[in-house]
Amino acid sequence: MKMTTERIESLAAEYVLGSLHGRARRRFERWMMESGRVRQEVWYWEQKLGQLSAEVQPVEPPKSVWQAIERRLWPQTAEPGKRARSGLSWLWPSWSLLATAAAVMLAVLVVQQPAPSPQLSGAIVQADVSDPLWLVSESGPDRLLKLRSIAASAADAGKDYELWIVPEQGQPLSLGVIPAGGVHQVTLTDEARTALSQSRTLAISLEPVGGSPTGAPTGPILHVTKLYEL
Amino acid sequence: MSQIDASQDELMRLLIAVSHEDRRAFQKMYELIAGRMFGVCLKLAGQRELAEEALQETFIQIWHHAREYHSDRGTPLGWMMTIARYRTLDLMRSRKVRQHAGEEHLEHVEDQRAGPLDESLRSAGATQLTGCLDELSDVQRDSILLSYYKGLTHDELSQALSSPIGTVKSWIRRGLIALKRCLEK
Repeated sequence: MKMTTERIESLAAEYVLGSLHGRARRRFERWMMESGRVRQEVWYWEQKLGQLSAEVQPVEPPKSVWQAIERRLWPQTAEPGKRARSGLSWLWPSWSLLATAAAVMLAVLVVQQPAPSPQLSGAIVQADVSDPLWLVSESGPDRLLKLRSIAASAADAGKDYELWIVPEQGQPLSLGVIPAGGVHQVTLTDEARTALSQSRTLAISLEPVGGSPTGAPTGPILHVTKLYEL
Repeated sequence: MSQIDASQDELMRLLIAVSHEDRRAFQKMYELIAGRMFGVCLKLAGQRELAEEALQETFIQIWHHAREYHSDRGTPLGWMMTIARYRTLDLMRSRKVRQHAGEEHLEHVEDQRAGPLDESLRSAGATQLTGCLDELSDVQRDSILLSYYKGLTHDELSQALSSPIGTVKSWIRRGLIALKRCLEK
């Protein structure tokens, strides 16, 4: 798209200001990714307008914020007291805490057309992205779990997303590496199917390319979602 | 303020450590800047719960993206405060904060019709940006500052300033261009 300097300047400024929103904001973000010149302009305004933040009176946040950050980043070491009770491996010890922390990633029930016979359905969403990242559906008879990418963005360089079933008890079961785009189908084993129908919980972790080398999640757990029966 | 200025080097050191996944440095950094950041999130969101969530999201993002910082993004503090503003705006928009809080919020703005902007912020804006805000017209400056500090959308600004939306848009656009010309002098 051809844009005058003045147009770039004012869109970048409005982006930083926050007055550019909705679709226009997302369009601009895409444009920012494509153009170094646009990014430079955004950074210029971030620095200039950012000076205004210096004048706002500091307010002490409650302690719970830091605790929540720790729980989300390091669920395995945060609040070790709860860990003993959960009885899971050290990688997923404070499952209930993790689930709480992931509550911001609201699991939404996806209203679908009555499809032949999907049994479980849901979405993996992120608080600051308006569309779901992936839509998930399970169809009973053919044992397929289907992930359709909507707004998922590619994993960082050198990383892959790995999908897990989080059973009620024991280690998560890997469903393999999932791409950020397109439709991904996994055929569930009997074991996986039983675990999923009981816990109805999926998680996505960030792993080295090709997936976790250990068979258990090693990277940060990015998303946790509970599926719904349709 | 001076304390923060003095700690820019410290923040740079901490941010580099955080990019190497140093948790202790991360906590130290939180202790240094969380209050400032929370002040900005709270002013913008106008409600504690959302501001707390935004602060949490911001630090999660800083932990994962510390290595993406570079000097073109401004000072470490400026960069992190920018992330905090974006996260807060995202949460506000995704929750449609103002639309739901709707009338209450707008009444509140209208109550302050004589000056919807705290006087302290208006004068503060003047000392920042090397005095360039003073060169704008009152309405241009106020609409820019209201967007920045309170995150008002064009719609909300048009109500707060009792002016048509097209007029408000043009105040902002022209104000920003004039600001840039002045800053470039």
